[in-house]
Amino acid sequence: MISSLNRIIVIGRNTLTEAVRQKVLNVLLIFSLVLVGSSVTVSQLATPGLDSAGLFDAQIKFVKDFGCGAIGLFGFFIALLSTAQLIPQELHNRTIYTILAKPVRRSEFLLGKFFGIVLLVALCVALMSLAFAAALYWQELQGLQATEAIYSQNPNWHTDPVLANAYNHDVQQIILQTRDPQLIEAILLIFAKLIMTTAIALLISTFATSSIFTIITTFMIYLIGHLESTAREFWLAGGANASIWQSGLVGFISLLIPDMNSFTIVDEILAGNKVPWSHALNLMGYADVYIVVLLAVSIVIFNYREI
Amino acid sequence: METSAPVAAPFAAETIGLTKRYPLTWKRKVLVALDHLDLQIHPGEVFGLLGPNGSGKSTTLKLLLGLIVPTAGEARIFGLPTDSLEARRRVGFLPENPYFYGFLNGDETLRFYGKLCGVTGPKLEQRIEELIELVGLQNGRERPLRSYSKGMLQRIGLAQALIHDPDLLFLDEPTAGVDPLGSAQIRDLIIRLKKMGKTVIFSSHLLEQVQEVADRVAIFSLGKKVLEGSLESLLIERQSTQINVPADLSEEQQQRLREALGQAGIDSQDIRFTRPHLSLEQLYLRTVQAQGDPGPRNSPRT
Amino acid sequence: MESSASPMSTGLPLSLRLRRATLVALLLGLWAPCKIVWEQHINREQDYLRYRGAPMTRQLRDQLGQGLTIGVLSGMRSVVADLIWLNVSTAWMNQEWFRMGGYINLCMALQPRAPIFPDMGGWELAWNASISSLYDPAQPNVLRRIKASRFWVDRGLEIYLRGIENNPTYYRLWLDTALLYQQRLHDYRTAAYYYQKASELPGALAYLERAPAEMYGPHFLNDPESEYAEWKKLWFRLTPAQKAEKQHSAGQLEWEIRRLEQKLSIPKEKRVFPN
Repeated sequence: MISSLNRIIVIGRNTLTEAVRQKVLNVLLIFSLVLVGSSVTVSQLATPGLDSAGLFDAQIKFVKDFGCGAIGLFGFFIALLSTAQLIPQELHNRTIYTILAKPVRRSEFLLGKFFGIVLLVALCVALMSLAFAAALYWQELQGLQATEAIYSQNPNWHTDPVLANAYNHDVQQIILQTRDPQLIEAILLIFAKLIMTTAIALLISTFATSSIFTIITTFMIYLIGHLESTAREFWLAGGANASIWQSGLVGFISLLIPDMNSFTIVDEILAGNKVPWSHALNLMGYADVYIVVLLAVSIVIFNYREI
Repeated sequence: METSAPVAAPFAAETIGLTKRYPLTWKRKVLVALDHLDLQIHPGEVFGLLGPNGSGKSTTLKLLLGLIVPTAGEARIFGLPTDSLEARRRVGFLPENPYFYGFLNGDETLRFYGKLCGVTGPKLEQRIEELIELVGLQNGRERPLRSYSKGMLQRIGLAQALIHDPDLLFLDEPTAGVDPLGSAQIRDLIIRLKKMGKTVIFSSHLLEQVQEVADRVAIFSLGKKVLEGSLESLLIERQSTQINVPADLSEEQQQRLREALGQAGIDSQDIRFTRPHLSLEQLYLRTVQAQGDPGPRNSPRT
Repeated sequence: MESSASPMSTGLPLSLRLRRATLVALLLGLWAPCKIVWEQHINREQDYLRYRGAPMTRQLRDQLGQGLTIGVLSGMRSVVADLIWLNVSTAWMNQEWFRMGGYINLCMALQPRAPIFPDMGGWELAWNASISSLYDPAQPNVLRRIKASRFWVDRGLEIYLRGIENNPTYYRLWLDTALLYQQRLHDYRTAAYYYQKASELPGALAYLERAPAEMYGPHFLNDPESEYAEWKKLWFRLTPAQKAEKQHSAGQLEWEIRRLEQKLSIPKEKRVFPN
């Protein structure tokens, strides 16, 4: 058992090393970091001519939305592109022969590869989160400076309790939004969604003949996944007017495609609404079990694949 | 899964009725890559697999390594099923082309494969040192494999095949693309491995080299094993005898010999006098070593 | 070595192919019902917490256009909403009020629980659009201008109220509504109600406690006792907070209450200051 785990870890670390030494990945990563960092500038360009009451709220919302959006988007591409060419490359270069000629099970090989991508995505998300935190902090500084500039126009802004109260209040509002601990929850949920995408891509690649097929199919599943909740409700409600084909399609989607839309709860966290950890853990648990099922099916298919 | 019983296993590798068929779906035909192969390879022997491309040699290797699943029949390594981990622990594989990761350097490659075989820690490091020494890759060990020449790749391939000290080695075209000095070294290595009691199964197109090291061979054609046996028994021309005379015979001496043999009942028409030939390899080695050339150097591929 | 055959190649014996198919069917078949139950549970939780935006309907898709629809389907709802919001200021600068209203509605449909959209959107309509129509040089008829102005105030109010429905704990929306009732609609009783609601919510400024009372103060002097009782309750509640204020000292407050009690002839047992 331990030796099995060790082999998985060895292959995983090797996969990570391979990915990290690839130039394409580095370019994507740097690009994403730049984008996250520049979300502050975008936010300032995007909110011209507003009064102070709503200004910082809008800017902070922009930074949060764009920052996390960038993490989600780039994380998606990194996860998808890395995973899609994992198996085809091993088959094309025949490096898989040398590995499987060693006392390594096919399942260990597959899990090792998956584990390597998980590490890769975790690393990228961590780096992008740091950039995001930096952008938020910069936005906070901007907001605080501007608030102070506005209030200090009145010479007795320190002494007048009404003004002092109002100033403290405004400052508090800004800090509450930029230092929201719930953002960690948001990032974890984004990460869970990315790993689910990885698992789907891995499953498709176990029987796909080219990485293009894997990429397109996974992308379609990802998009349809956002409609799955609508499909499921329609299907469960019975849909008396639906034809056999419609019911069949909708049923197929409900039974097999994951509900990606439930992860848009991240938007709620970004808007500053409270999402209890119990719900986040529920969602992450769903993702984890789904990933396990996908991996199990991948192993079964890959075990019998002709190489 | 059986428990391994290496002591009792009579064969290092054995196939019984091993068959592999690939249906070609578009043409509605079936490609028979291997047709009912029965093969027994004894422990400690050097066995050569010969045959044209597409004759089933590679398929046999893949099946014995557990890389593909047979359509019918059975294959065993030391009595163990080929898809078991125990079997592969006792097997080392040198692929014909560099099926290695180009981004790793020599040390990292050996470390990676060693860990996969369950060799770890200081024992692994020691093994790596020994093998680098053995295959002569001291200069190249820090460079990524994608910068290696063909000869260096063969050597790192041998090293990774031996990293876990296997009892059975599969070598697929071990000397293809290697210069004669290098391939002589590989040949010596095979002989040394045999002396250590290891079994070696290798496939090659270089028939002279097979002849030099193999104990037994099998010849494949169109998915079937056509011929099998020890070199001794296969290659001997039973209908003639060679006599070596360490002198240059004149015409008259030759005529006298013909008469003598004629009296023994042999038709003098069928007697031929020829000069023994060196092999080109022997000439080459003799010439190059006389110059003091130590052998292939680890230059990067340009 | 030969090139590899097709990956699902049937060079495998039938028994293995059957085994593979059965295992896959079993795994997926066992998971499918669990999946549906779990997803339903998650969605119920989310409905309870009122999280989800409008579902992707054809109408929404038409409004968004293809690119943004893909954006929404990729799970980037908030970014799409923000991008649409950028059009609001452009529309304002062009004085295209109806288009601006359309964008605001779209953003709120996509992200109903982002309070900033109704907060700023309502203000754009009830104030900017409204005041601008009031002084619209293109409309010579003053009555029509007033009517247009009032129309936009109503639209802004709708936005605020819808925002409050989706974000009941965001104090600024209540405050905005109160300000609108007070300053544009001159409905002080409703304004007082909204002020009070705003003051109870977390994050509200301290002065909001006083605001409902201020609504009642100047405008209800001649109203029946029930109004005054409300006023009195509010004034009474203010006493600890008043210490920070300079405008009303405790002494003046007492004098005011006494004066009112006298004026309205409240029976002694009901008075705040019975003596």
